[in-house]
Amino acid sequence: MLYYYLLVSAIIFTVGSYGIITQRSGIKILMCIELLLNSANLNLVAFSSYNGNASGQVFAAFSIAIAAAEAAIGFAILVALFRVRDTINLDNIDILRW
Amino acid sequence: MNYTLLIPEILLTILALVIILFGLLMSDKDKNMLGYLSAAGILASIIAILGTSGSASFFYFYNSLVIDPLSQVFKLIFLTVSLLVVIASIGYFKNNPHQDEYYTLLLLALVGMMVVSSANDLISLFVGFELASMSTYVLAGFEKKNSLSLEAALKYFIIGSLSSALLLFGMSLVYGITGSTNIPVIIDYFRANPLLAASSLGVIGIIFLVAGFGFKMALVPFHMWAPDTYEGSPTVVSSLLAAGSKKMGFVAAFRLLVLFAVAVVPLRLDIQMAFGVLAVITMTYGNIVAISQRSIKRMLAYSSIAQAGYISLAFVVTTQMSVAGGVLLALGHALMKGGAFIAVAVVAYMVLSDNKNAKNTDDLENFAGLSKRAPITAFSLLVFLLALAGIPPSAGFIGKFVLFYAVIIEAVARASSWLLLVVIIAILNSALSIYYYARVIKYMYVLPPTGDKIKEPTPYVVALVLAVIGTIGIGIYPEPFIQMAMNAAHVLGV
Repeated sequence: MLYYYLLVSAIIFTVGSYGIITQRSGIKILMCIELLLNSANLNLVAFSSYNGNASGQVFAAFSIAIAAAEAAIGFAILVALFRVRDTINLDNIDILRW
Repeated sequence: MNYTLLIPEILLTILALVIILFGLLMSDKDKNMLGYLSAAGILASIIAILGTSGSASFFYFYNSLVIDPLSQVFKLIFLTVSLLVVIASIGYFKNNPHQDEYYTLLLLALVGMMVVSSANDLISLFVGFELASMSTYVLAGFEKKNSLSLEAALKYFIIGSLSSALLLFGMSLVYGITGSTNIPVIIDYFRANPLLAASSLGVIGIIFLVAGFGFKMALVPFHMWAPDTYEGSPTVVSSLLAAGSKKMGFVAAFRLLVLFAVAVVPLRLDIQMAFGVLAVITMTYGNIVAISQRSIKRMLAYSSIAQAGYISLAFVVTTQMSVAGGVLLALGHALMKGGAFIAVAVVAYMVLSDNKNAKNTDDLENFAGLSKRAPITAFSLLVFLLALAGIPPSAGFIGKFVLFYAVIIEAVARASSWLLLVVIIAILNSALSIYYYARVIKYMYVLPPTGDKIKEPTPYVVALVLAVIGTIGIGIYPEPFIQMAMNAAHVLGV
């Protein structure tokens, strides 16, 4: 059974990292980061059930709370950026470069 | 249970909450005193930590936190950097109506870094990382009307959360193999079952951990956020990021990866080789790209990447001396880089007082004749740059000396030519870096000034003088610091 959970989580992880590389909209990138974190959470819960100890589930609970805080900060930065620049398309956010 | 050793964390957390609460009730003018309050709290924490020097380890909260020499050294580094940054911020954010939020976030970031340095469990490690990272995401975008600052924050946020996700994924795999989140239990399990660690699941987990820590340490190829973020952020925040939050990745990697390399014999050489390659690429890339920079903040960012390359030599041999050298260089780098960014903040202040709408305040041209316009700043920056280049007597020299020496001893002991090659590249890189540091010194001391002498604001001067005393003090009298670093490395059982 563990095998299927790990497979699903690996697929979710791949989708998330593919999205971060290809997407140009700030919101979509935030969604992809959530996918990455959730694939790790799925891993933790699956392993926790497989190993028969609860610390993985506790870890997952912590990381879900942290992911929520992270999303809040991400959206706050995007809103502040939108007010100044009128865009959250990452292709247009390019003042800083060498 | 005796919580005396946790007083610094408790004190700083309470102070952060008190500041945000009372900030609501204060007038904007009264908020100027909050900086002094934060500085006093940090100073008290430094004294509390210096009072607890010992070589014993103490465990708290079901073994999830540990207080040992390694954690205490890194706490001192974080506290010193934050003290310098807070003192400089008293000048930088003077009369800013959002000072209460700034100091709260800074103190929470500091608490996060301190939790990371004493983390003995993957959960507390991750939570500490995230506390420090999230506070610094907001700090990087603190000038919310300035699009550069916001762009820096967005880039830092995206790469930072990506690295956290990689780290969490790696941790989940390590947990899956060992069935525990406690670091000593994990290491013992791997020591007993080295083949499990070398299985494909274990190797993938370690690769994810190295990548996650690599982003935090800004090793090439995980560095691309660092120059943008350091350039765009408010300069005092860049100082905190480059000098403080970067060390967070190092202390976590010391705790996890060095122990791992020591415990798991089949993977030891692979880990060391991997870090050897990373270290060489990182220092060479950082130094070469720094040469072409006109923006001093960006140049300092690339030089900071190069320094991360030197520090990661500690992972290449994982002996007690190399880890001690890594700790020493981290300490020195914190003082030198923190001070250098504060000096850049003084130049920005100077340029803005000439012309309110000046752009690119950290351009090299603005440093022309700085020794005439702002002599204390120019002298301090001279000291920091020479120390970064590794000129004795300075903290930078001591750190590099111990580190390179440790690698050379190991190269001779193992008769290993690739280790020797790594050290030679590191020494050549040190020589190369003198070029771009000397260029700034030439602008400051040789070229004619472009304006009148200014009065340097007192907070900046205090911070710069403290950093200069630290940088030169460690160089002149290194014994206690080397001893401290050796004790810290001894904890890892190397």
